Parts: sequence; C-alpha cells; structure tokens
Amino acid sequence: MASSNPETESNNGSSIAKEPEKPQIEAFRMPTMEEMRAQEVWNNCAVRSVASGVMGGGLGLMMGMFLGALDNPIMQEEMTGRQQFMYTMRQMGQRSWSSAKAFAVMGLIFSAAECVVEKARAKHDTTNTVVAGCVTGGTMSAKGDENCKKEYNVSFMGQDERIPSYVCRRPKSSLCWLCWLRSILSTDREVLGQTYLIGIESCSSFEEDQFFRKT
Amino acid sequence: MAANNPMGVDKEQAFGMAETEMEYRVELFNRLAQTCFNKCVDKRYKESELNMGENSCIDRCVSKYWQVNSMIGQLLSAGGRPPM
Repeated sequence: MASSNPETESNNGSSIAKEPEKPQIEAFRMPTMEEMRAQEVWNNCAVRSVASGVMGGGLGLMMGMFLGALDNPIMQEEMTGRQQFMYTMRQMGQRSWSSAKAFAVMGLIFSAAECVVEKARAKHDTTNTVVAGCVTGGTMSAKGDENCKKEYNVSFMGQDERIPSYVCRRPKSSLCWLCWLRSILSTDREVLGQTYLIGIESCSSFEEDQFFRKT
Repeated sequence: MAANNPMGVDKEQAFGMAETEMEYRVELFNRLAQTCFNKCVDKRYKESELNMGENSCIDRCVSKYWQVNSMIGQLLSAGGRPPM
C-alpha cells in the first residue's frame, strides 16, 4: 500500500497538471449564524411586504414618468417653450406620483397576503399566489366606481331608491380575473378546487349590479 | 474506591448511562431530522434554500415531535408500563 500510494499521487499530479480546467469541488460548510439571521430577515412578513411595496412604488414611478411624458397636449399657440416644459414636468410628476402610490399599495398587499397565506398553510405552492392575487384584486377594487352611483336609480316595488354603493363594485383590477383564470388553467386538482371557488366568490360578488337594471 | 465516587454510583455504571443517553440523543436527532425533512420538503428541489412555507412547516414539525416525545417519555417513565 505504501509503495502504491506515491505512484497514484504522482499519477494524479501529472493528470492534474494536464487538465487544469477540472472544476474544484469546494467543501460544504454549514451556514453561520449571521447567514441564518440574514435569511431569517426575509422570512418576516412585514419586511417582505414593505420591500415589495417600495419596489412597486419605484416601478410605478418609472412607468408614470414615462407615460406622463408621452401623454401631453402640446399647444404651441398658447404657451411658450418654457411653459410647455413646466407643464409637461408637472403632468409627469402628477402621473408618476399617482401610479407610484397605486403600484406600491398593490405590491404591499400582494406580498403581505402571499406571505401570510404561505405561513399559515406551511406549503410552497401556487395556491398562495392565487389567493394573494384574489385578495389584492378585491381590495384594489373595493372602493367602487364613483360613476355608477349616479346611474343606478332603481324603482323597486314602486319606490325610488338609490342603490347602495357596495353593489356598484366592478373588478377594475385585472388581478381578480387573473386568479380566476389561473384556477381554471391549473392542472393540480387541489389547486383547481380551492382557487376556483375562491375566484368565483371574490370576483362574482362584485357583479351584483347585473341584477339591478336601470329603469 | 469508595472515596472516589461520592455519589455512590460506580464509574462504569455512570459511563454506561452516559453512553446510553448519548445514543438515545443521537437517535432522536436523526429520526427527528429525517421525519421532518420527509414531511416538509418536496423532493423536487427547485432551489437550494428553504422557502417560508418549508420553514414554518419545519418549525411546527419539530415542535410537535418534541412535544410528543416528551409526553410519551413522561408516560413511560412514570408508570413503568404504558397505561392501557
């Protein structure tokens, strides 16, 4: 054994010298306490939702600025160049601020809902995302459509009464429909069953206005 | 020899007991890790780090396993025979 070992070592040395591209497998080391704590930070629901909200805000800001810059009526007769510039800037600012707020709220709610659902279920699945999407879509459109408060005046049993505002909700956000669609397209049976019901429940409860017609 | 062990327990016996205890602990740890890993972690490894669902699953699994273990240990050690 002692005589054969130096031979194998010399063979290995020569082979390693011939192929230096051989990848070195590094030794496995367990994560230290700092690494574990750093990973634990991202397990916190509040941290995740705030970070997601901030990212959503940034995205909304960029998108709003871009779209605000494109969408400006250039009236060359009325305003000078500098005034046009100021007007465009103000328009971009307003647009970007409003869309940043909307996206930040959406990101916050989505991330918080997904985190809470995943922690409760203790499973990493697409069901978490679907439920979170439904919740986000529902809360984003929960304020209702202001226009339809004026339209719907129903005479019910001979009495004119205003429709309460919760009827006029329409899912303006497409996330609610997206969750319904995902539930239909998913091939996992459990996901299909749960999320189909959730999608139906949360999306169709907003369509009660179909029962009330304008008279 | 009597002056060396004030507790009245033989040195060999103490060593044997410690060895048994150590074996028990090692066995408990191995079985705990194996059970909770099989229950909580999906075999199709999509990423190298534990995600949140798996983390909370492992927390719950370990806690329950530990509770069950201590409960059964108490039952067995109190009566010397499991109450049927």
